[in-house]
Amino acid sequence: MQGTKVVRPFPFFRAGGRASQPQLAKPILVLEDVYKYFRPDQPTLRGVNLTVERGEFAFITGPSGAGKSTLLKLIYRELMVDEGRVLFCGRDIGRLTDKSIPFLRRNLGIVFQDFRIIDHWTVFENIAVALEILSMPQRLIRARVAEALERVGLNGRGDEHTSNLSGGEKQRVAVARAIVPEPALILADEPTGNLDPHLAIDILTLFEEINATGTTVLFATHDHSLISKRDHRLIAIDEGRVVEAQQGLKHWPGSGIHTLVG
Amino acid sequence: MEVKSAMTRARRGLREERRLYIVAVSSLAVAFLCLGATLLGVANLDAAADRWGQSGRITLFLKDDADPQDIAQLRVVLEGLSDVSEVAHVSPEQAKASFLEEADVGADLSGLPKEVFPASLEVTLVNGVTRERSESIATRLGQFRAVSDVESYRGWFEKLDHLLWGARMLAVGLALLVMFCVVAVIGNTIRLAVARRRQEIEVMKLCGATNGFVRGPFVLEGMFQGFASALLAVLALLVVYLSLHESIDSTLAALTGSRIIFLSTWTLLGLLAGGAIIGAVGSAVSVRRYLAV
Repeated sequence: MQGTKVVRPFPFFRAGGRASQPQLAKPILVLEDVYKYFRPDQPTLRGVNLTVERGEFAFITGPSGAGKSTLLKLIYRELMVDEGRVLFCGRDIGRLTDKSIPFLRRNLGIVFQDFRIIDHWTVFENIAVALEILSMPQRLIRARVAEALERVGLNGRGDEHTSNLSGGEKQRVAVARAIVPEPALILADEPTGNLDPHLAIDILTLFEEINATGTTVLFATHDHSLISKRDHRLIAIDEGRVVEAQQGLKHWPGSGIHTLVG
Repeated sequence: MEVKSAMTRARRGLREERRLYIVAVSSLAVAFLCLGATLLGVANLDAAADRWGQSGRITLFLKDDADPQDIAQLRVVLEGLSDVSEVAHVSPEQAKASFLEEADVGADLSGLPKEVFPASLEVTLVNGVTRERSESIATRLGQFRAVSDVESYRGWFEKLDHLLWGARMLAVGLALLVMFCVVAVIGNTIRLAVARRRQEIEVMKLCGATNGFVRGPFVLEGMFQGFASALLAVLALLVVYLSLHESIDSTLAALTGSRIIFLSTWTLLGLLAGGAIIGAVGSAVSVRRYLAV
């Protein structure tokens, strides 16, 4: 296995990865006057301007259908912006070719509400797939998966089939898969949407622990009870526009936040 | 590493979709069996034609009133030809005896008069004489006074040539049909597999998998299906050959002096490699078409 090249085209994107000073100085994510239309007369996102610094934890909130998922999809290039730019570490991802998109995604960890884990695979296989894509040697994959399992509280459960896991455990597997390649940015799209409040707090705490190691986290949720418990930066989307509070609900600029989140 | 990973994932895919693949491989094995059987027929016809063509024979039927001196002179001429290895005189009595020994028509033919069987000179040509050369020798020998008729077996060879051409065309047609079947069956099987594994594919793409990474296992699975089908067909053909060749040989050897042969190593390798390659191509085409994620 010696000499196997790990394909990681943007090594400096990694949390803790070495980056040159100019690269480190740039925000990890910048959205400049972004518009996204699904209907010509009604943009889902209208003129969104947003800057996320390296190592930040931010909630993205807003009612269902406000455009939270659309915003995240623009970042992992599931969708293309119609106007404006999305810069990831200074690179305009709207200009990436189709062949480059996988290399962008290798620097992102994506977690969904519906877990998106493969039920007939084991826990190990579900997590290891993110490293196999990077052509990592099996020995290293085993070590990294074991480490990720420990971080999400599923130590020693790699051989279990994910179909036997509870919802909370499945989401932990999804989080482990997202963090195992050590991405620079984690995009969590309603990761607690299918979980009861107690488990939701557990998962949120898990993301905070991941953030504490230097990984930037964008956590999309419409759960008011969840965001009210933390003082993270709050990015609310209302009718396609962004309203921000730097330190949670306590510092919300207006009174309308309760109409935005449930 | 990527190949190893693709192989691991292909193995997992084959295990998970085994029922689907067993059906596909069985259907394709039948198609390959038809092709293999035709190739076997062509190979045997080819071998027989080659054998008979190489060991050329000309029969000079002599006139009833031929002068023995003319016959002797003819023998001298024949034995002087570099293309001739042996000349044997067959008298009417010997011809009749030989006929009665070889014929198995279920009737008593011993009462046939010996005049029915003309005397002849059986000319055996040296190995490697071409059919054209054999024809030219036969034409010249026909001009001798003692010769009433010459049999160079030309008509027989022409019929064999036609038969061989037809068999070859059949084999080519079948090969094309089998190719189409393999591409269609494997293409559809892979399409089903892609549909069933859509979630896996989506997850891989979200984790940053390239198209090559996603397609790799499907191409290997298609390759395996093609190879397994061809292998099954070859094994079935071999079993049939081993169980029947002795009884066929005894009949065929009595009739034609040749034995049935099995497909050559190169043909076998060609069938197996062809199966694998067409399987891979069919799969690659299908995945490219249906893997829009």
